[in-house]
Amino acid sequence: MSACQKAARPLTRCLQNTKSLPQATRAVRTFTSSSRQNEEVVVESTKAPKVWDPETVTSRKGEKVLMRSGVMPIGSRRRRAAIQSSDNIPFEQLPYQCFQEALQVLREDRTEKLEQIKVERLRISNLMAQDASKIKGGEVQKEKRLDSMRRYLEKLKIEADINDPLIKKRFEDGEGDMNKPIYRYLADKQWRKYQRLVVVQRINQLSVVPDVLPHFEPTADVRLAFRTRSVQHGEFIDSRVSEVPARLKVQVFDKGERLVSIVVVDSDVPLAESENFTSRCHYLATNIPLSPVINSIPLSKISTESVVVPWLPPFAQKGSPYHRYSVFVLQQKAGETLNVGELKEKVQQEGFALRSFRDKYSLDPIGMSIFRSEWDEGTAGVMERAGIEGADIEFKRKKVVALKPKQKARGWEARHSSTKYRQLWR
Amino acid sequence: MLLPRLQSPLRAAITSIARSGQSSSLNDAFAQLAIRSPVLTFVRHASHAQQGAVNKAKDGPGKRLGAKKSGEQYVIPGNIIFRQRGTHWFPGENCAMGRDHTIYATESGYVKYYKDPETHPKRQYIGVVFERAQVLPLPRNSMRRRKLNMVATKMETPPKVEGVQVRTDLVEGVGGKKGVVSVKQGLGKERRGEEGRDLTIRPGYMYREANWEIGRAAERAKVKVREFKPRDRWTAWRKAWKRQITVKEKRIVGRRK
Repeated sequence: MSACQKAARPLTRCLQNTKSLPQATRAVRTFTSSSRQNEEVVVESTKAPKVWDPETVTSRKGEKVLMRSGVMPIGSRRRRAAIQSSDNIPFEQLPYQCFQEALQVLREDRTEKLEQIKVERLRISNLMAQDASKIKGGEVQKEKRLDSMRRYLEKLKIEADINDPLIKKRFEDGEGDMNKPIYRYLADKQWRKYQRLVVVQRINQLSVVPDVLPHFEPTADVRLAFRTRSVQHGEFIDSRVSEVPARLKVQVFDKGERLVSIVVVDSDVPLAESENFTSRCHYLATNIPLSPVINSIPLSKISTESVVVPWLPPFAQKGSPYHRYSVFVLQQKAGETLNVGELKEKVQQEGFALRSFRDKYSLDPIGMSIFRSEWDEGTAGVMERAGIEGADIEFKRKKVVALKPKQKARGWEARHSSTKYRQLWR
Repeated sequence: MLLPRLQSPLRAAITSIARSGQSSSLNDAFAQLAIRSPVLTFVRHASHAQQGAVNKAKDGPGKRLGAKKSGEQYVIPGNIIFRQRGTHWFPGENCAMGRDHTIYATESGYVKYYKDPETHPKRQYIGVVFERAQVLPLPRNSMRRRKLNMVATKMETPPKVEGVQVRTDLVEGVGGKKGVVSVKQGLGKERRGEEGRDLTIRPGYMYREANWEIGRAAERAKVKVREFKPRDRWTAWRKAWKRQITVKEKRIVGRRK
């Protein structure tokens, strides 16, 4: 900080303080700070609890208070600090000539795109109105053309808005409306840049793909949490934490409401008799509405009519290798609901195979998340509370029988193997 | 080196120029100036390196590389299947590669040598299957074959259900050991947090507590340590200040002596 800045600091402080005061007092007050103002501030702070603004909060304390109340502070701390002292001119009115001219160019481009959208809509409606027999390829060709035209329309919609700086800002502030294609597009792009790569990596690393499903390409973002504990994909979770049903946040990036089924599968249930592993269904619920806007699915709050298998807390018996619990979101066919009563009879919890379940009810897996668990101090308690037998069973490694008989001791070892050297034994 | 050698022919040339006088042409003079010394002609002699592996490939002792287990032979975990320099073979199912590229088994079963063009078009793999009739590679996207290799046994001590019970269990465990020689620390008053210590002989001929008991010493003594906050500069500064003061005092005391 230079000397002149240092000198001007009290003055700027005073200016900032006066800004936050009501208009009347500000008019009276001059630039010189007075003791009266300080008194006022003290009195105020003791009385009313401070209300933090997510736009301008910069202190750690304020951020914490806000986050606890469920509101995330907007943007970076640096930005919030800048907003505090700026005179809040609306973004599109910033007085820079180059900026204004660039905005003008973008606006013209947008109007052009809107015109194109109008034309494309008209073309689609015209084609829809036409009789399929009059078109060259018949019904198939008509559907094909309609499909490609619709895709082009979607592309135009995104192109119309993609360059708008205000839309970018709103998306980055988390205020984007997921009903609009541009925000869905931006969110999808962001997800694919990092989160999706992580999920795909975990799917491959933890062998979910050959073990649970033969193929899987996630298209929806699934976040998992237990109470307040959010779970990274593939994390080891304490059995006491996962005793309660999970909370899911499923973000789909295509429009429209749909029904989904949610399955939690443990694919590492040890079978001592056959020396093999099997899978077990820990949760199954169907006909859950999901859309880009309605994205929160707390499993504990799902109505009992749609729950087929209620939450069975994950447990891993002592000594058994880690259990993978994969949470799958399966999209049902448009307009189809599954019969819960029938499912309750047919679905076997032990030996549940997601492959055949998916094929039988023609479900489309759109997203997944995974967590792992091992035996810990709480597992016995969790099993007791859930009424599961077998908490006192421990899995131990089988002894491998050597192919050759053990060689007789030779040399030093043979000489020192008598009881005389007992203290050397270990 | 070069100058003394040059001197004699040069001298000869100069004298010849002087002898010929003005009658002979300049060209002759220059021709005589040309250096024609036997010492300076470069001749390439026949040469042959005497050292290194030039004359004949030196064949060292054999390294006993190659297959140690043939196809369909039974192996147990850790058995070496193939020794090699570099990766002629890659580890497939239930196999692993050592630091000198040795392929060894990680499960007991039957050795299979195979190619898997879908994972890699050129590599050849060694795998182990659990039953002799099984074939490798597995069909694409089929479930992995796995083996538990474990036996379910009843726990010797049933697991504790967490809650308040845990602590009492620990206390019992300390007091109720049987058949172990234990020594109470004598010599009057015990230090804070060391009350009721149960010292047993441990490996290394030491009478001491178990490590987990030592780890709980602070808890027993009810020592409370303020949680460390990485960015709490105020506490850090105060601590540093106190430390400086004590160091200063110590120094003063040291000087007095």
